[in-house]
Amino acid sequence: MTPLAGRGVGIGWRPEISGFVAELPGLRFVEVIAESLPHSGEPPEALARLLAAGVAVVPHGVKLSLGGAEPVDPHRVEHLAQAARAVGAPLVSEHIAYVRAGGVEAGHLLPLPRSREAVDAVVANVARTTAELDVPLALEPIAALFEWPDDELTEAEFLTEILERTDALLLLDIANVYANALNRGEDPADLLTRLPLERMAYVHVAGGRLHEGRYHDTHTDPVPGEVLELLGELCARQRPPAILLERDGHYPPAAALRAELDALSAATGYPAITGAAHT
Amino acid sequence: MTGLGRSGSSPAVGAGLARRQEELVRALVAGAAMPVGFDVAAVAATQTALLRKRAEDVARTWPRLAASAGPGQWTRVFSAWAAGRAPQGSLRDGWDFALANPPRDTAAQRELALRELLWAYDGETAPRARRGPTARLHAGELLLRWRGRAHTFRLR
Repeated sequence: MTPLAGRGVGIGWRPEISGFVAELPGLRFVEVIAESLPHSGEPPEALARLLAAGVAVVPHGVKLSLGGAEPVDPHRVEHLAQAARAVGAPLVSEHIAYVRAGGVEAGHLLPLPRSREAVDAVVANVARTTAELDVPLALEPIAALFEWPDDELTEAEFLTEILERTDALLLLDIANVYANALNRGEDPADLLTRLPLERMAYVHVAGGRLHEGRYHDTHTDPVPGEVLELLGELCARQRPPAILLERDGHYPPAAALRAELDALSAATGYPAITGAAHT
Repeated sequence: MTGLGRSGSSPAVGAGLARRQEELVRALVAGAAMPVGFDVAAVAATQTALLRKRAEDVARTWPRLAASAGPGQWTRVFSAWAAGRAPQGSLRDGWDFALANPPRDTAAQRELALRELLWAYDGETAPRARRGPTARLHAGELLLRWRGRAHTFRLR
């Protein structure tokens, strides 16, 4: 049984929208940025209330740098493991990306060259991480505006090899699939036919916007209709066990966020969590 | 693909993944030369996006400083200053910006004074939390550090 089976539609919990999240009547799971959880002691009170109400909390790491050639920082791994224990998480997630090298922080997720050397680096860092975790790890492929010049593998080959060699689950971000395909001039549905979708733990959906001919995965704009359509295509192939809306700033009025959550329910067939009537 | 629209400076052929990753991140955020073969326009778009995200992160840590740039101006003003400077985390990035561009806005000055009350920062190494109680005067207010927290009292 996959860890989030039956959890349906969730939302990325952020302090700025904790009041909104607390009032979602059908909510069964949230994500929390792992690095935002305290290093010791209890989780924030608002999260503790969700936990008490039976909502699953998934720590989502953004600074581990699993794709770095350098070994992951043991303190960061220990914090992720501790965060998972503190919220009784059914799983944790991180990215197939690097965020620092040689002591320089990028400040965001950077893409890896799709090389065998990079696969080896990810596999080694995932092993170092899962050795400390009590729960499964799901890996998320990122959106990037550029690629490395000398890729040896296709994206599907690269991701499939990492998943096979690590036993990790897949956190598929459908907006990232859309963004990468659009920016490379490819068909986004094409990647869906080549990924091991049966490994999906859950799916991310987020907003973005076109800027100077490129699609930016901003998490601060509305979810485009094309992304929802692609989500529908994914569900036609394989419905993900659970789906989560990410929003990271420029928070819209509650009605707009509720409408986006209801759109995820409509696309996946999972029950509305906003209290909206089923249509 | 090589040639037009591709970067061309220090070659990275044969270099290990660690070196290539460091070269790229230094080029993206710290003003170093871009390694060979990348799509220059796509990398430039990434640099702009990284600066925007960094500006948003700093604005969350330094809301008054960000507001002091004027409505809708923070990302532009901060990005112009931060381009080519390696990120040091939101606390230090905002602090360095404030030291290089002392705010004239009183709310931003107060924000900086409160940071200085709680943290010791030499402009070179990571800020350290100050210890023990202390009090300072700032613009007609008494700023008191007590058990690691700031308390403020308006003086008449």
